[in-house]
Amino acid sequence: MNSVLGPRSQRAVIWWRRLVVMTRKEMLQLFRDIPIMLFLVYSFTLGVYIIGSGLRSQLHNASLAVYDADHSFSSRDLIHKFRAPFFRLEGEIADSQEGLRWLDRGKAMAVLEIPARFHEQLVAGEPTAVQLLVDTTNSPQGLSAAGYAARIVARFGQETALARVGSSEESSQNLPIIVSDHRVWYNPDQNETWFESISHLLRQITIFAILLPAAALVREKERGTVEQLLVSPLTPFQIMVSKVLAMTVVILCATAVGLFGIMQPVFGVPIKGSIVLFFALTALFVFTTAGMGLAAATLTRNQAQVGMMTLLVVAPMLLLSGLTAPMEVMPAWVRHLMALSPLRYFIEITHGILLKGAGLRVLGDSILAMAILGGALFGFSMWRFRRQFE
Amino acid sequence: MVNCDPSIPVVRVSGFCKRYRRHVAVQGVDLTIRKGEMYGLIGPDGAGKSSLMKAIAGVLAYDGGAVEVFGVKVDSEQAAERIKHRIGFLPQGLGLNLYPELSIEENIDFFARLRLVPERDLADRKARLLAMTRLDRFRDRPMKHLSGGMKQKLGLICTLIHEPELAILDEPTTGVDPVSRRDFWAILAELLQERGMTALVSTAYMDEAARFHRLSFVSNGRVLASGTPAEIRSLVPGTVVTLLASPQIEALARLKRDFSQVETLGPLLHVFTEQQDQAEAVKRIEAGLGDIEAEQVQTDDPGLEDVFVALLVRGSPVKDTSSIPVRSSGRPQHDGLAIEARGLIRDFGSFRAVDQVSFQVKQGEIFGLLGANGAGKTTVIKMLNGILPPTAGEGWVAGADMRKAGGVIKERIGYMSQAFSLYLDLTVAENIRLFAGIYGVGRREADERLKWIVSMAGLAGYESHLTGRLPMGVRQRLALGCALVHSPHVLFLDEPTSGVDPIGRRHFWDILSRLSREQGVAILITTHYMSEAEHCDHLALMYAGRVVTGGSPGEMKRQVEQEAGHLLEVVADQPGKALVHLQRAGFHGAALFGTRIHFFCRDPVRDAECACQALASSRVTIKSVTTRPLSLEDVFVYKVMALEEQERASTSGDRV
Repeated sequence: MNSVLGPRSQRAVIWWRRLVVMTRKEMLQLFRDIPIMLFLVYSFTLGVYIIGSGLRSQLHNASLAVYDADHSFSSRDLIHKFRAPFFRLEGEIADSQEGLRWLDRGKAMAVLEIPARFHEQLVAGEPTAVQLLVDTTNSPQGLSAAGYAARIVARFGQETALARVGSSEESSQNLPIIVSDHRVWYNPDQNETWFESISHLLRQITIFAILLPAAALVREKERGTVEQLLVSPLTPFQIMVSKVLAMTVVILCATAVGLFGIMQPVFGVPIKGSIVLFFALTALFVFTTAGMGLAAATLTRNQAQVGMMTLLVVAPMLLLSGLTAPMEVMPAWVRHLMALSPLRYFIEITHGILLKGAGLRVLGDSILAMAILGGALFGFSMWRFRRQFE
Repeated sequence: MVNCDPSIPVVRVSGFCKRYRRHVAVQGVDLTIRKGEMYGLIGPDGAGKSSLMKAIAGVLAYDGGAVEVFGVKVDSEQAAERIKHRIGFLPQGLGLNLYPELSIEENIDFFARLRLVPERDLADRKARLLAMTRLDRFRDRPMKHLSGGMKQKLGLICTLIHEPELAILDEPTTGVDPVSRRDFWAILAELLQERGMTALVSTAYMDEAARFHRLSFVSNGRVLASGTPAEIRSLVPGTVVTLLASPQIEALARLKRDFSQVETLGPLLHVFTEQQDQAEAVKRIEAGLGDIEAEQVQTDDPGLEDVFVALLVRGSPVKDTSSIPVRSSGRPQHDGLAIEARGLIRDFGSFRAVDQVSFQVKQGEIFGLLGANGAGKTTVIKMLNGILPPTAGEGWVAGADMRKAGGVIKERIGYMSQAFSLYLDLTVAENIRLFAGIYGVGRREADERLKWIVSMAGLAGYESHLTGRLPMGVRQRLALGCALVHSPHVLFLDEPTSGVDPIGRRHFWDILSRLSREQGVAILITTHYMSEAEHCDHLALMYAGRVVTGGSPGEMKRQVEQEAGHLLEVVADQPGKALVHLQRAGFHGAALFGTRIHFFCRDPVRDAECACQALASSRVTIKSVTTRPLSLEDVFVYKVMALEEQERASTSGDRV
C-alpha cells in the first residue's frame, strides 16, 4: 500500500506510526503501574462519592450552649428558634464562665446568653440585648453561625415588636418593612453535593494531568531510556506529545466514569450544555496542565524531585483558582497571578457548561486564554527538553 | 576480647541461605576467612555477593545456616551489636555512604566521632591515611566534587578510621577507572599488611580475582569454587591457545565443533582446552582447523576467567549461536569509512570536554574507545550521534555529515547504552515492536526481525515475559537486538557489558564479532573492562578529552614494552616485606598483586638478578621470578600514569 504513496506521504505515514507506537507504549506502561491505577480509579469513583456527600460549607449542626438567666416564656421561645439542621442545642449552662470553658474546650461552637429580666423588658417595651459568643477558629463556619444567629434574633425582635404594637397581619403591611427575597439560580435547591463533587472532579483532573506526564517523562530520564529515544529518529515533539496524548485519553475516560457513573446518577448533577464541548475542553485543559507537568519534568532529575515541584505548583493552583474560595475575595495580585492558572478558566468552563448550559460564545475568552497558556507551556517544555541534554 | 587465637577463623559461614520473598538470593554457601587474609567474592550482579556480605556485617537477617564472626554467632541484633565495633563496612555504590556537602576532612571526622575514636588517635590516623591515599591536598574539598576514584578512597578511609579488625568492602572498584582501581588495591594491600587487618572484598571484574589471597566464585547464589588462585586454577587444568587464522569466521565455526570455549580477540582466536600438554593442545587445534593454517600460535596457562567460564559451562551448556543468520539484509554498499571524526571539539562553559579528537572506523571493524570516567568518551559518541552539536570540527557517520544530517544519521545507526535502555515494564515482544515502530520498520518486516532477535538472544519462550524479570545477560542481548531492529550498518555501544556474567559477556562478544565479520557492521564501543578491549580490532585511548594513543591491542602492548620494558612477577614467602625491600632497592614501580609483586623492568635477566640480590639480604625466600605478558590494563595504567606525570611536570614548570 505504501508503494502507492509518494515519498512525502510515506514519510508522513512513518511519522504517524512513530507517534502511535509511542502513545501505545505510554498507555501500556501506565496500565502496568498498579498503585497509580488504583489511585486513579479510586479518585474518580469512590473519592468523588465521599467528597460529594461528605463536604459541607453551609452551616450544619453547629453546637450551641445556652445560658438562660431569665427562664421565661420569651427566652424559651427565642431558644427554640435556633433549630436543626443549622444548630444543635448542646445543653444549658449555669453561668457565663462555664460558657467560656465550653468554647475553650470546643464543646460548643456558640454560646447564647439571655439576661435576666429579658421577658419583662420585652413586655415593658424597653430595649434589651442578648449576647452570642462564637468560636471562629474555623472562620467560615463561625461567621456563618454568627450571621444566622443575627438573623434569627432580628426576626424574633421584629415579631415581638409587631406583637406589642398589637398589629395583625394586615396592619403590618402598613409598616415600612423591606423584604429581601432570594431567587437562587443554576442550583435552585442549593444542593451542595453538586458544587463539591464538581470541585473534586476538577481537582482530580488537575492533579493527574500534571502528575502523570511529569512522572512518565522523568522516569525515562531516571532509567536512562530517554537517551535511547534521543538517538532514535523521534523528534522531541513526538516524545513529549505522545505522553500527553496517552494521559489525556486515560483522564478523559476517568472523567466520564466519574461524571456518568457517580455524579449524574447519585448526586443528580445536571449536564445542561453540550457534553461533547465539555469533553473537548477537558482535553484542552489536560493538554495545558500537562504542559506544566512536562516543564517541571525537564527541570528535575528524578521522581521525588518532580513530585515536590508539582506539589509546589498544584497546591496554590487548587487553593487559589476559585474552587475553595471565590476569586473575587482574593487580593488583586493573587487574582492577577492566577490568570496563569489554567484551572481558573476550566472552573468557569465546567460550571458554565454543566450548570448554566453555556456555549462557545460565552466561554470564548476562557478557552482562548487556556489555549494560549497551553501553547506557551508546551513550547517552553520543548525548548527545555532540547536544552537539558546539551 | 573474645578471641585472639589466629587459628580461629575471623568469619565462618555455613549453609547460608537468604530469600527475598519467593526469590532465593543465596543458597547453601560455606565460607571461612582467616585472620590477615584478603578474601575475594567474585561474581556478576545478582549472584548474591551483597546479601552475604551484609549478613556478615550484621545488617541483614537471613533465612538459614549460621554466620559466625570473631567466634560470635550473628543471629540477632544484640549479637550483631557485639561485633559491629570490630567491623568496617563499605556498602556498594560510589560514595553512597558519604555526605556530598561535607568536605573530605568533615566526612572523616564525622565517621570517627560516630565510632568514638579518641581525638588524639584521630589526628594521627587521619594524617597517615590521607597521606597514603594522596588526598591530603584536597582535605577541604566537598565530597561531591571528587572523582570516582577519590570518592572510593575517601570511603575506604571512613570505613577504616576506627581501625576495624575486619573490613567488608562491597564492590569498591565498580565504576572506577583502571588507574584509580590499581591505586585502591595497592593502598588496601598495604593497610592489611601494616595493621594485620582482615578484609572481605567483592568485585565483578574477573581480572581482579588474582589479587586475592583466597577467593570464592559466586554465581546464582551458589559458590562454584573456593581457594587460593592457584588452587582454583588447578580445578580446571588445561591450556589456552591464541592463534591467527583466516578467514576468522570459518576458523571459529570449525573450532566450535570441538571446543566449548572459543572466542575472537580482534583478529586472533582464543581457545581453551582441557588438554594439559601444550604441544598436544596445539596439535588438536590444528587438526580441528583442517586446511586453515594457524599462525602466531601462542600457548599459556588458563586465566581465572577461563576457569570461571569452564566451571559455569559445566553447570549449564552455553547455547551455540553460530548457526543463527546474523542479518537478513545485505552488506553495506560502501565498504569505506563508517565513522570519521576530524578535529572534534566540545566546550562546556570554560571546560573543554573534548579536544581535537580525530579517528576513523572502517566498515566491518570493531573500534574501542577507552578512557577513565570523564575522559570525554560519551561526549564524543553524543556528538557523532547528533544529540550534541560540536563546538568545532566535523564528522561523518554512515555517509552523512553529522552537523547537517543528524536526522539521517539517527535513522542509520544503532545505539545501545550502559543502562541497556529497555522498558522494564514492557514485555520482550513489546519492546522489540516499540523500537521497530520508532525506526519505521514495516509490520511484516518487524515480525521477521522479532523472530530473528528472539533466536539471536536466546529468548524463545520469553516473548511475553516482562523485561524486568530477565537476567542481566539476556536483557543485554535483547537491548542489542533492539538496537539492530532496523539493520543498521553502524553500531554505537556505550559501556554495554556492565553487570553481566562472563558467559553472558562471551556470548555477547560472539554476536558482535559475527556482526562485524559476516555483515560488515562497523562497531564503536566504549568500555572500562580492559579485558574486553582485547576483542577490538583497533583502540583509541582518551585522556582529558584528547585521544593520546591508538592502535591494535598488540601494537599498543609492543609500544609499551619498548618504552617501559617487560613486566616481572616475583613470588616470595613474605610479600609485604619483600615489597619494602624491592622499593628500597630502586624498583619504585613495584606493587603488590595478590600475594605476588609486579614491576616493569628494562632488562629482565639483569633486573631479576638484581631483585634476587636485594631480597637475599633480607632473608625473604624467593619462590620464583618470571616475566608476564602485558595485559591491556597494564598498558592503560602505564599510559595514563605517564601522562599524569607529564602534566605534573609541566604545571610545576609553569610555576617556576
